[in-house]
Amino acid sequence: MTEFAYPTTDPVPLRPAAEVMDLERLGSLPASRLSFVRSLVRQMARQRWQISRTRFELDAQGHGIAIYRLQTPQGRYHGVIFSQHLADDQRSDRVIAQAWDVTFGVVEGDVDDALLEQMAANVPLQEAGRQHPRLLVLSRANRSLRNFAHFVTALSAGEQPDPVWLTRVGYLYRTTAVYGNGKFGIADFVRLRDNPDFQRPFSAQMLAVYLLRHFSIEQVEHIARCRAPEAAVPMATELRRYLGIGNSTGLGMAPFLINHPQLIQQWVTCRETALALALAQSPDEVSRRRLIALTRRAMRHLAQTVAEDADQAARNAAVVAALPEVIVWLEEVPLEPDLWQQLVAWSARTLPLEAQELVNTLLIELYPERVDPLEEQMGTEECLELTPDMPLVRLKQLIETHYDWALAEDFDRSEARHWFWYRSAEKEEPRLGVRGEEPGAEKELPLAIAPRVHHAHGVLSGFLEANPRALVVDFLIAHPRHKDIVRRIQSMVETPYGEIRANLWHRDMKPMHLLRTKLAFFGASRFDPKSDRWVRITLFQGAPLVEELNAEPRGLADFDDWSFPLEPQGVRHAQPQGAGERA
Amino acid sequence: MKASYNELQGLCRKAFIGMGFEEGDAADAADMVAWMQCFGLGGLAALSRGLDFLLDEDPDELPSVLYQDGDLAVIDGHGQSVLRSSTLALELGFAKARARGLSVTKIRHCHNRQLIMGYLARLAGRGMNVTAFWRNAQQPLTEQVVGFRANGSAPEIRVYAVQEVPEENEPNDGITLVMANHVDLLPAMRSDYRYDLLARHDESDLLACRNQALAEGIEVDEAVWERLKHLATRMLVEATDASREGAGAGTNDTD
Repeated sequence: MTEFAYPTTDPVPLRPAAEVMDLERLGSLPASRLSFVRSLVRQMARQRWQISRTRFELDAQGHGIAIYRLQTPQGRYHGVIFSQHLADDQRSDRVIAQAWDVTFGVVEGDVDDALLEQMAANVPLQEAGRQHPRLLVLSRANRSLRNFAHFVTALSAGEQPDPVWLTRVGYLYRTTAVYGNGKFGIADFVRLRDNPDFQRPFSAQMLAVYLLRHFSIEQVEHIARCRAPEAAVPMATELRRYLGIGNSTGLGMAPFLINHPQLIQQWVTCRETALALALAQSPDEVSRRRLIALTRRAMRHLAQTVAEDADQAARNAAVVAALPEVIVWLEEVPLEPDLWQQLVAWSARTLPLEAQELVNTLLIELYPERVDPLEEQMGTEECLELTPDMPLVRLKQLIETHYDWALAEDFDRSEARHWFWYRSAEKEEPRLGVRGEEPGAEKELPLAIAPRVHHAHGVLSGFLEANPRALVVDFLIAHPRHKDIVRRIQSMVETPYGEIRANLWHRDMKPMHLLRTKLAFFGASRFDPKSDRWVRITLFQGAPLVEELNAEPRGLADFDDWSFPLEPQGVRHAQPQGAGERA
Repeated sequence: MKASYNELQGLCRKAFIGMGFEEGDAADAADMVAWMQCFGLGGLAALSRGLDFLLDEDPDELPSVLYQDGDLAVIDGHGQSVLRSSTLALELGFAKARARGLSVTKIRHCHNRQLIMGYLARLAGRGMNVTAFWRNAQQPLTEQVVGFRANGSAPEIRVYAVQEVPEENEPNDGITLVMANHVDLLPAMRSDYRYDLLARHDESDLLACRNQALAEGIEVDEAVWERLKHLATRMLVEATDASREGAGAGTNDTD
């Protein structure tokens, strides 16, 4: 068992689910060191993963095929990227799009001619193709036209692009879907269960995004070189690091959070456990200084974050305005053993929600040795099962104890039943409709858990009055349509952080909070909502580069310290001419 | 064509919802079909054979309990597919076995009985020894036994033709289940009666089949696949300009 040198206070209990699983709070989470992009980068460094280019056949416009090989201690994988011309009027972020600037996949094992041919015929079609079972991930991305044009122009003129462009939009490409787990014929996630490289949730998808980031750098440099072979320069290292990959996400992400409550339970439990571990540490002057430095960096990062959405911009501004108080507090309060607990109690009283969760995230950042082992617990085998022999009266008690938040809603009020969720005939895109005004309510998706629990509770209470000794199975034989929700309730009472405590029918419900919850666990930064139903974010901005990974970093501390990246300063000096060619 | 397990399960679930199944029944039925297909036992073919019957069934005609006591239950499936009628009957047997150590459950009047195996696998996963028995045909008289060891993921299956047909040989569209908390109920063909073994699937063969399916994809019949896709569209809502507006990003997005 690992021994830690940190002095600690008494164990700190986990926060109550009523607080943690509030939708607005979940929608305030920033990425943390347990987010999937962070843990993937650490895994790659620890295990000395190596990435090399095996094919790079692009024309002067950057169209063609590129293949990258990933070698891990366990196995070999390939990222295969198809780049094609896309008419500007086809560049849509929606799942209903039919063509993209690049389409790509991650393959387990080697790519021979037959597989490449199969992929070339199907990967560019995405959902409309039949994908190969050795593909672990299928994805596509569109260019940020303005950034792309600026970067090519600058690099081909022998100049560095202005970092301000990446502060405004942090990527050259943004993905619009990153598919895993058996979609369209690719490999099932269960196949990775015994594969130590990708058994964590979404790690294969995050690797695909990381490879695309590397490709975007190499591709833009290639285009610049083709345009001006003598004058072009490679991108400065600081800019490469500051370049992420965008993602555009709509309501499609919301059903996942509701349909995988046991996985959400794991994610939130790990984060809350990390926070409790951090809060139990007794700070010293070094950790206090480190927290102040991290707070300053996060403050500058948020000050540099551009959000078109007025609400998000106001929330960012509120956090930026609040953080100087945090720094003052940290500098002035005596260094007592329970200082972190005092800080969190003070922040809960005085700071806006996003600032509170930011402080929590930064505290987690301080104790990698304690926190990082939790990343191994982010996955789980999902299985919702009935307990048919449970006395019905016990089920009623459980509902009243664990789902009081659902019972508290008055579903007779029109605002409490305002929205319904459904899938559109257009690529099965999840959408929201107004009940009673828009068609489709009879085909509603059962994503709103609260009304289902509420209804089941009412029916079983009536049944119980007539059958006081009934078992759950007796009730379900009489009322089988409640089987699904009863199974969920019985499974989830053991897992307090699985249910998001909100009425997803309510007029005032903000779908954006659902999207942000999941994106924060992915590791997203620069949340830039475009409406209350879709958002653009950036992944891997600030992350170590492939060449830094290939150099096999000795220590993780600096390599892993890339949260809240800042705009690089002083990179616009011309590089030596002809230096654009890279081995 | 090849499909993944998740894809097959997802499409079946949507198709069952399209057919009018309740959410929980649709999820269970999809698991049952996908489980059987993944183990190479022809889940989609079994579904396909019963699909027209399923589409004609009255979803409101619920299975009913004809008799029950502490360790015995008789359920009337009203001639419906086990995909719609069996799961709560099995849960009833499970509850009784948990309480009494062993239970016997008889589901009368049901069809598509092969497909029940997928749900038996779930009960076994919850620590129950389960054996199901039914007769497939009268001439020649064939019987099928499926046994799961508690916590086992694959069954032992035996299908055999009985050479000495009893005088009483009425058509039997039921299924009999025995569940036991602690006793292994796997089929062992050791009787003195004469029979011809028609099929034998061992646990190890079935697990190898599943592993291959997960590695190489699951072979599915395209015609059945297309039919399921068509049924699944019934759960979708036709798009309108208004619905497109509220769905998310625009139709042309540059930045």
